[in-house]
Amino acid sequence: MSLTRRKLLHLLGLLGAPTVFLLIFFFGPLVIMLVYSFLTPGIYGGVDWIFSHLNYGRILGWADTRYEKFDPVYLAIFLRSLRLATLTVATSLIVSYPAAFWISRMRPGRRDFAIFLVTLPFFVSLIVRLFAWVLILRPTGFLNQGLMGIGLTSEPIEFLYTDFAVVLGMTYVFIPFMFLPLYSSIEKLDMAQLEASSDLGATRLQTFRKVVLPATMPGIIGGSIITFIPALGNFIVPSVLGGAKVLMIGNLIEQQFLSARNWPFGSALAMMVMTAVLVLLIVQLRLTRRGEHA
Amino acid sequence: MPSHLEIINARKAFRTPEGGRLIALDGISLRLATAEFVTLLGPSGCGKTTLLRTISGFETLDDGDVVIDGIAMTQTPAHRRPVNTVFQRYALFDHMNVARNVGYALEIAGRDKREIRTRVGEMLELVGLTGMEKRSISQLSGGQQQRVALARALAGKPKLLLLDEPLSALDKNLRQKMQHELKTIQRELGIGFVFVTHDQEEALTMSDRIAVLAHGQIQQVEPPSVLYQRPANLFTADFLGESNLLRATLDGSQARLSDGQTFDAPRAAGEATLLLRPESLGFAVPEGPKLSFTGRIRETYYSGKDHQIELETLAFGTIRAVIRANGTVPEIGREVTLHASATGLHLIDEVAP
Repeated sequence: MSLTRRKLLHLLGLLGAPTVFLLIFFFGPLVIMLVYSFLTPGIYGGVDWIFSHLNYGRILGWADTRYEKFDPVYLAIFLRSLRLATLTVATSLIVSYPAAFWISRMRPGRRDFAIFLVTLPFFVSLIVRLFAWVLILRPTGFLNQGLMGIGLTSEPIEFLYTDFAVVLGMTYVFIPFMFLPLYSSIEKLDMAQLEASSDLGATRLQTFRKVVLPATMPGIIGGSIITFIPALGNFIVPSVLGGAKVLMIGNLIEQQFLSARNWPFGSALAMMVMTAVLVLLIVQLRLTRRGEHA
Repeated sequence: MPSHLEIINARKAFRTPEGGRLIALDGISLRLATAEFVTLLGPSGCGKTTLLRTISGFETLDDGDVVIDGIAMTQTPAHRRPVNTVFQRYALFDHMNVARNVGYALEIAGRDKREIRTRVGEMLELVGLTGMEKRSISQLSGGQQQRVALARALAGKPKLLLLDEPLSALDKNLRQKMQHELKTIQRELGIGFVFVTHDQEEALTMSDRIAVLAHGQIQQVEPPSVLYQRPANLFTADFLGESNLLRATLDGSQARLSDGQTFDAPRAAGEATLLLRPESLGFAVPEGPKLSFTGRIRETYYSGKDHQIELETLAFGTIRAVIRANGTVPEIGREVTLHASATGLHLIDEVAP
């Protein structure tokens, strides 16, 4: 189909501004990061324009004994980030799915109120909410006092500065991201289809597996992706609730840019995160394409 | 004939959102013979869909029993009942193709792939969709979706098929075609059909018997012709087809209309209502005893095969008649006389308040 001049102008008018914006403020910085990740760090911060692949070597394992050493800790932190982000996606999914189901069956007035409640945490600063979790989780916090109060434990348990605290905090922060796409796909679910399935002999479990799950899969995939991406790169939650013990890749990148002032290495780490996310998006695209053809 | 489905004194009440009680089923009893096509007919809110859902198991009864082939089903959950449903808006699984939809019951039952494929092929042939296995639901027209829903419900060989206003979304021509096909399929398979509709024509066309429901109660269960010609009460007479309902006073041997005309009615004295169907009235004077109505033509409607006439009479108000279109075309405003034979007239033992 060929576009007429008029249509082309129309399209340009509509898409021109956001395209220019994204080119300058999104694509531009990304290219800078990509270029920096192959340069050598300057002595006083900044970059020297000398090509180097050793920023990636430090992460992935080819060593240069002179300046940059391979240290498996970066890869370990990267894998831990992947693990914690995956756990966060899983727990948010487990919490959000039944909730979305339940809310989608409410009367309209109540339903809108419940959705408002889900988005309510957005109205309070993230930092404040995370410090509230510190008060809950610390050795003298509400949780430990409660547990000792009812006699379940005799000594405080270390909740704070553990993987548990980080996953808990990220789940808490990202639940709305998981909930909303889930809700929109569950709400569209035709209840008559569930009855039809039961009518045709399926138990509740079979109906869930064969009808509900496939029908809501777009919401599950969508919610998982938009939870996973910010969870993977998150550095606020691990720095408040994980302390120095539970570093995530986001903290590492932040340190490289702000404390260590090794911009090329920070860029290389960021590119690693980008690559992981891109791979994930491609997988998602493949999955949804296959879903459409099935 | 052995009874195939038996509903015994079914009762069901719902709570309304305002906190009141809505009685949906008020002591309904109904028997279905093997391979019988029974239609539940009634206005919306009469309880017909609720009754269907108690048979399929989606609603539980407050009291009473549902018995299928001699086995009480009251405690049996929907997925273990030997009945399948064709839903009003089909409720097809839109993430599956036609073949998986039709084969769903067999897939759930764990049959092997080859058997499922054969059965799906048979079912699609039965409903006239041969070769459409791979189509996705969204690619089908409304009529085709209807056929897939039917095939899906029949694939698991149910003892009884329930149909919840399945044709209401189709246009008129397609609906008539499907009515005939449904009837043929039912006769071929030899299983019982319970069909819910609010469309009286549909009910008359397809059913072996029609159960007229109103206010959670069965008004009458009869074959269509009996129901049409000899309705038991005013509701049925009025709901099924057009009718002229005239009050008559009985004296034991004769009935007298309010304008003084009489006809033979050897039954108990009292008040009753005479049912005169519009098509029993005409301009030709019948032989033997007759009833005549003179008045001015107020309105005529032409429908292709006949003219409907509204006659304004002094004694009875509006009298409706239907005459064939190739007869004399009446003019609005003319004074005419319509006649009906006065033999075999049907009286209803009930008078309008």
